[in-house]
Amino acid sequence: MKKLLSGNEAIARGAYEAGATFASAYPGTPSTEILETVAKEYPEIYAEWSPNEKVAMEVAMGAAFTGARAMVAMKHVGVNVAADPLMTLSYTGICGGLVVVTADDPQLYSSQNEQDNRNYAKFAKIPMLEPSDSQEAKDFVVRAFEISEQFDTPVMVRSVTRISHARTPVELKERMKPPLEVKIRKDPPKYVMLPVYGRKRHVVVEERFKKLKEFAETFDLNKMEINDTEIGIITSGISYQYAKEVFPNASYLKLGMIWPFPEKMIKDFRSKVKKLYVIEELDPFIEENLKIMGVQVDLGKDTLPICGELTPTIIKEKVAGIPEEPFLANPENIPPRPPNMCPGCPHRGMFYTIKKLKLYATGDIGCYTLGALPPLTSLDTCVCMGASIGHSMGMSKALGDEGRGKFVAVIGDSTFMHSGMTGLADVVYNKSYATVIIADNRITAMTGAQDHPATGYTIRGEATHAVDFEELGKALGFKHIVKANPYDLETYEKILKEETERDEPSLIINQGPCALLRRALPKAKKPFYVDVDKCIGCKRCIGLGCPAITWNAEEGTNADGKKRKGYAVIEPTLCNGCALCYQLCNVDAIKTEDKVFYGLVENL
Amino acid sequence: MSAFSCPYNLIIAGVGGQGNVLISQLIARAFIRKGYQAIVGETYGVSQRGGSVMSHVRVFKEGVVGPIIPEGLGNLVLGLEPMETLRILKAYGNPDIHVITNTRPISPVDVIAGNLSYPDLDNIFESISLLSKRAWMLDASDLAMEMGNALLTNMIMVGAMLGTDLLPLTMDDFVVILQTYTKTEGFDANRSALQRGFDTIKATE
Repeated sequence: MKKLLSGNEAIARGAYEAGATFASAYPGTPSTEILETVAKEYPEIYAEWSPNEKVAMEVAMGAAFTGARAMVAMKHVGVNVAADPLMTLSYTGICGGLVVVTADDPQLYSSQNEQDNRNYAKFAKIPMLEPSDSQEAKDFVVRAFEISEQFDTPVMVRSVTRISHARTPVELKERMKPPLEVKIRKDPPKYVMLPVYGRKRHVVVEERFKKLKEFAETFDLNKMEINDTEIGIITSGISYQYAKEVFPNASYLKLGMIWPFPEKMIKDFRSKVKKLYVIEELDPFIEENLKIMGVQVDLGKDTLPICGELTPTIIKEKVAGIPEEPFLANPENIPPRPPNMCPGCPHRGMFYTIKKLKLYATGDIGCYTLGALPPLTSLDTCVCMGASIGHSMGMSKALGDEGRGKFVAVIGDSTFMHSGMTGLADVVYNKSYATVIIADNRITAMTGAQDHPATGYTIRGEATHAVDFEELGKALGFKHIVKANPYDLETYEKILKEETERDEPSLIINQGPCALLRRALPKAKKPFYVDVDKCIGCKRCIGLGCPAITWNAEEGTNADGKKRKGYAVIEPTLCNGCALCYQLCNVDAIKTEDKVFYGLVENL
Repeated sequence: MSAFSCPYNLIIAGVGGQGNVLISQLIARAFIRKGYQAIVGETYGVSQRGGSVMSHVRVFKEGVVGPIIPEGLGNLVLGLEPMETLRILKAYGNPDIHVITNTRPISPVDVIAGNLSYPDLDNIFESISLLSKRAWMLDASDLAMEMGNALLTNMIMVGAMLGTDLLPLTMDDFVVILQTYTKTEGFDANRSALQRGFDTIKATE
């Protein structure tokens, strides 16, 4: 029987079946489960969470240079971080097969942009395969390893959220033995990119590209389906599924290899169909390259959107011209439901304090980016991993002394390990007064709890060295380093005020593990509750934006006869007793049957 | 039993943390075991942090079917939260759609903050009834808490779905899958929750 696998699980399985012995990644939605699956299911493969995508790419290169088959996985923006090694890896080539998986995120379900990484294949002059379901995801990874070795090139496999996170049936195969012996292979002209060698390797890249173009013409993953010849559709990846559902009878050229193009095959297909449609998500990648080839396109991005995810509904409306009749206009005003920080989240106390002190917060990538949303609304920038520190540094120089006490950088522990250290070095080196908070919750939280070099555990849960942020800060030259409990609002406010007003750089290290991190929470705490008789409806607790506290708008008076517009209610199934609301209540209306301590862990 | 025909489009709607990703996978596996093809489309990421979560389970015999259900083409909505059920009906509803919804509301952040109000529950239920061929409202969260664990809500809802006889799946079909794919320590509680949902729906017929 076939197994129901997500695209990510299928990619991991592909690496296993191809005989890969090495896999690396930095977690990032929608790619995270690839390495999680490798670590969990395939002990034959060495697996690691690397500190960032650049390192993940470099370690995979090192493995491939010995002849081992290696896979490296990352989200689309991770390729930007790894682009430096990738662009020159194209020159050196590999030895053992090297597959680079990019999981793109059209519609920005969990990302800061929706860049189309098909462009990277063209940019780096390397082949890219694009599967359209889990079966193909698995099979294409195996084929990618073969092409990689055949042409001495890294091969990219591109997934998108709808492939990575969809589950479709997959036929499994046995693991094969990789073809090459693993050993040290000395070859400086190939692997040392001094200008004198690099110039020669560029020529090799161009020759390889010509061969790859020839190869594409007969490559069996580029599939022509000739049905009704009135409309011919060139497409690839997930767009194939959507198009096929709307136009089941049209003719198709499905590009399993999205770069380089099979030019003769495309021209042949064009000659067989009356009208040519290009159905693709995000950039007009296929369309523009067809136009460069002089192929006439009858419908493309003039009709389909460049922004956002493609759906069968959009294709139906825009291409087939079948208007979607709204089933019902607007029966109720349905409030939106954006994500929120969890009950008991250690970031909530920090953001509450930042808001109270009216600080501008340069931010970063992680759960704490949600601090930008109401009601806390206390994060002011978010661009890329590690940027929070650079932003504060730059602001300190632009504002000069005027800026002191007015802003702070907020970065998570995993993001800090990823790209924060260099920024932190800059703060001291170039004599800024910036204050940096490492919101250390002991895990990569947003992607679902992955370890990193400061947690003390590897991807497979083995104990290992944990980076000590305090020692690191000292080594980088910070004279002011404070460990702070973000659940203790009064003390936290005092620390934040003091540190941001300094004329020297300072580092605040939050001590509050993620509220979902099971190993850090030794003891269940009893929920708090609202004494309805006492509550005066001041909404101080509501201002925390805690999912466990709701507002009951029932006008009246409390037991002491005080008028109120409503009262707060704490949902016992959600509250985990962090005590933030307890500290804010001026009338002692928030109570617990437990011993009160600030935070989820007693010894914080 | 109502007409079940392929492709059959089932949507599970809820809020991050309610376990709808898990049940969508179990339902798809139960269909595959019965000889159908089934795929699950879902989007998670930040939605794990209390946002709207929707899973698409598509059951079919042949042809190419993608992971996203085209709008207006839902056959069944299994809603774990009433407002989310209505949200889904808006986009995927049609006069032949069936709905099974949990009745317990979970407030989104704007409602918590007092900026917006949660739509009147009776209005939600009325709209759901008007907009579907048939709708079942179930106090699944209350039943789950009665059983001692709010996390059983999703299994009670699946049990209720099996109890409607809309799908060619029996309790036994699902229990086999539950046994294979859930951890042993949770099996008995999940099994009881399934039965509780099943019996509750049967009692209303």
